[in-house]
Amino acid sequence: MGSYVIRRSLQAIPLLIGISVVLFLMLQMTPGGPLASSEAGGGRATAERTERLREEFGLDDPLPVQYVNWAGGMVRGDWGTSYNTGRPVIDTIVDRLPTTLLLTGLAFVVALAIALPVGIFAATRQYSTFDYVSSGLSFVGVATPSFWFGLMLLFLFSFELGWLPSSGLEDLREQHLGLAAVWDRVSHLIMPVAVLALIATAQLTRYVRDSMLEVLHQDYVRTARGSGLPERSVVVRHAFRNAAIPMVTIAVLMIPELFLGAVITESIFAIPGMGRLFIESAELRDYPVLLGILTIAALLVVLANLVADVLYGLIDPRISYG
Amino acid sequence: MQLAGEESPVSATRCSFVAAALAVIVCGCSSGGSGQGDDGRAEPRTGGTALVAMTQEASGMNPLFNDQSGSFLSFWAQEPLFVARPDGSFDPVLAAELPSVENGGVAKDGRTVTFKLREGVTWSDGKPFTAEDVKFTFDVIQDPDSTALPPSAYDLVESVDVVDDRTARVRMSKPNPYYLGLFQQILPKHKFESTAVTTEHPQARLPLGTGPFVFEEFREGDKIVLKRNEDYWNQDERPVRLDGITLKITPDAQAAISAFQRGEFDTVFFVTSGDLPNLTKARDDGRPIEVTLQETKSHVEWLWLNQSDDGDHSRPHPVLGDPAMREAIDLGIDRKAVIDQVLEGFGKLNGSVFYSGAAATEVPAAPFDPDRANQALDEAGWVRGSDGVRSKDGVRAGLRFQTVTGDQTRELYQQLVQQNLKDIGIEVKIANVPSNLMFGTYQEDGRLARGNFDIMMSREGYVVDPLDEGWASIFTCDERASKSNPGGQSLTHWCNREYDALVKEAASSVEPERRKALYAQAAQLFARERPALALYSSTWGWAWSSRLKGVSKEYFDGIWRSAHDWYLAG
Repeated sequence: MGSYVIRRSLQAIPLLIGISVVLFLMLQMTPGGPLASSEAGGGRATAERTERLREEFGLDDPLPVQYVNWAGGMVRGDWGTSYNTGRPVIDTIVDRLPTTLLLTGLAFVVALAIALPVGIFAATRQYSTFDYVSSGLSFVGVATPSFWFGLMLLFLFSFELGWLPSSGLEDLREQHLGLAAVWDRVSHLIMPVAVLALIATAQLTRYVRDSMLEVLHQDYVRTARGSGLPERSVVVRHAFRNAAIPMVTIAVLMIPELFLGAVITESIFAIPGMGRLFIESAELRDYPVLLGILTIAALLVVLANLVADVLYGLIDPRISYG
Repeated sequence: MQLAGEESPVSATRCSFVAAALAVIVCGCSSGGSGQGDDGRAEPRTGGTALVAMTQEASGMNPLFNDQSGSFLSFWAQEPLFVARPDGSFDPVLAAELPSVENGGVAKDGRTVTFKLREGVTWSDGKPFTAEDVKFTFDVIQDPDSTALPPSAYDLVESVDVVDDRTARVRMSKPNPYYLGLFQQILPKHKFESTAVTTEHPQARLPLGTGPFVFEEFREGDKIVLKRNEDYWNQDERPVRLDGITLKITPDAQAAISAFQRGEFDTVFFVTSGDLPNLTKARDDGRPIEVTLQETKSHVEWLWLNQSDDGDHSRPHPVLGDPAMREAIDLGIDRKAVIDQVLEGFGKLNGSVFYSGAAATEVPAAPFDPDRANQALDEAGWVRGSDGVRSKDGVRAGLRFQTVTGDQTRELYQQLVQQNLKDIGIEVKIANVPSNLMFGTYQEDGRLARGNFDIMMSREGYVVDPLDEGWASIFTCDERASKSNPGGQSLTHWCNREYDALVKEAASSVEPERRKALYAQAAQLFARERPALALYSSTWGWAWSSRLKGVSKEYFDGIWRSAHDWYLAG
């Protein structure tokens, strides 16, 4: 098991190098450059200023040199400095990461908390009204663009009803104490988490239902039922345990997906996380920050895959890693 | 440097002009009574925090080092020597008086200006403010290792000498008519080790000032917190009432405006002219908000007519090189329809390249006259083909018409212009491009810089003086970007020696009347030659919550500088 983890981790290295090369080149190929004096950037950049910046950021070096400089820095923990703010990329990311992790984590928990019971219940009552309704809703959920859903929530709960604050994570006008402080935080989180969790919940519900159905029709479940076990124990202990195996993969791989979903959610609700940082950096062609975020996302995907594989072994003793 | 005036969130990015307008305070506005919204007679309440939605974050809050729009709010902490009024005149702030030839502050040759500083001013950390700080600020600007982005008015400054603690003498290489626009930001010398100050320096991000508020915290992407300056030097005369101001960064401008109308924010930095119809409606429907409009002209939506053949300055543009063609386009566009139908009236007609401030020259916009336009084209030999599109000597009157993608309001009036020009036999294809493609530098293949366009549209201009951001000079021959001159700023690749001579002389004339006359001549010439056509001048406005009192628009930047006097309704 331990050697398996080590081997898989080592295999991830060439993969990450490959990803980083592709990311680096793709960013270089986008039209315009970091020094474009865009309307967003403001100001007419003078020739001297552009020249100075080009030199400072090494933009005149050949691409392979730029790549090696950047990749070498990444390995050493020096992620470069933002073209925009001049701050170290790593500081910027460390500032923003906790917010995104909080959002992603909450959304993941919410998605699981809804999808598991609903999916299991729907599977045990296949073709019931509940099954139809939950299936219908999850299709709607998968098909709803999250930015649209977010705007609708904003419109309804913030602008029309005025129940929930529209932006940020806290009330900036005054400090609350005790329960009011808790509500302050919760009221700011409800909509962003709902938007982020929507698609994940819908997808997970479908997967839970389907894998439960598959298992429920197998012989050993019928045997368990036939031997007089209570239905509850059949479903939870015998069926769900087996159904959970493929679900683990899906669920764990959903984490990077949620992480990327934060891009939209954070923009709509003015939440200062990694997603917003990504959009801002993309607009400003702030390559060092973009590369930093993309590298983290790539790491997350690779890591999630690894975790899913390892979890397999823990849940299903039949799988052994040679 | 473009001003907004549109409604899509994307367009919010367009106020960055403000940013660049370092030298001077920004956002045109009007003179007007102070204390609007002061309805009670009661003593203003002290305390409370004003919450301002900021739709465009700046990466640093010191305009000397950052040219993004948000940084201009730094004057809440950083006070200038002088502050501009809407008519282009100035009031002293940290200076004790306005230097003039009469009081000996300005030498006869216009090359030496003596600034007398106010007594008893302290930085917010308690250290005294002196002429040393003024000199230090200029030394930083001069240091080739610093990354300061000084406004062009500093180009003429040769040296700054400290006469005594309260007196700084500035020597210019040429007479500098814009000496009052110098030192809009002053750096506290005691906070620096050397003059090689770069963007990474904490003072470039959150500067220390002498002003009514003090920067306390800057959480990137989240908020910028200002607290009242408890030791404000002018507290007795002009007390600061608010405990602080918090800028909440809300990149979605539409959401910010909606939340503002619901009372979540006290004001929004900034509202675009596209928001004004909705905001005025909301106010009239009884929402607790106040709206005020500027009366003077502000940034202009320009059509840049390329005067080069794909960047080649030796050959005129095959279509737009013909003066008759430019005249026809000018006469063929129904500007009033654009203003009334698309902008709901929130725009002004303007035909002058120098439209604002002390040097403003009134030039009427070309009348909408398709008959005369057709006639001009007929006479110049542009003949209509079977498809209704004109051509001359085998050159078809077909033009690309481009602006930044994703701006719905602009796309609407682009279509109006397209139809207008079709009616006079000019075929226009709308092919918008991302902003970095449009404004990229020469090395980055920017379309404007490379001269790779026919008609491009953007909002540009200056605020107080044509020298701001080098506005007058970007139309000179030397600013045409090319391989040998990649830093050129020209938007039209136009070259007219007469224009060059006029603005050059105006740039070093300290005699106001003479300057005004020179700019007037240049503006007339510009309107005759038509390297660019003004579509309309934006109407600027501001909106704030009714609970916020003491709001006025006495100075050039609209309501923002009045934050000093803001307080919350009891």
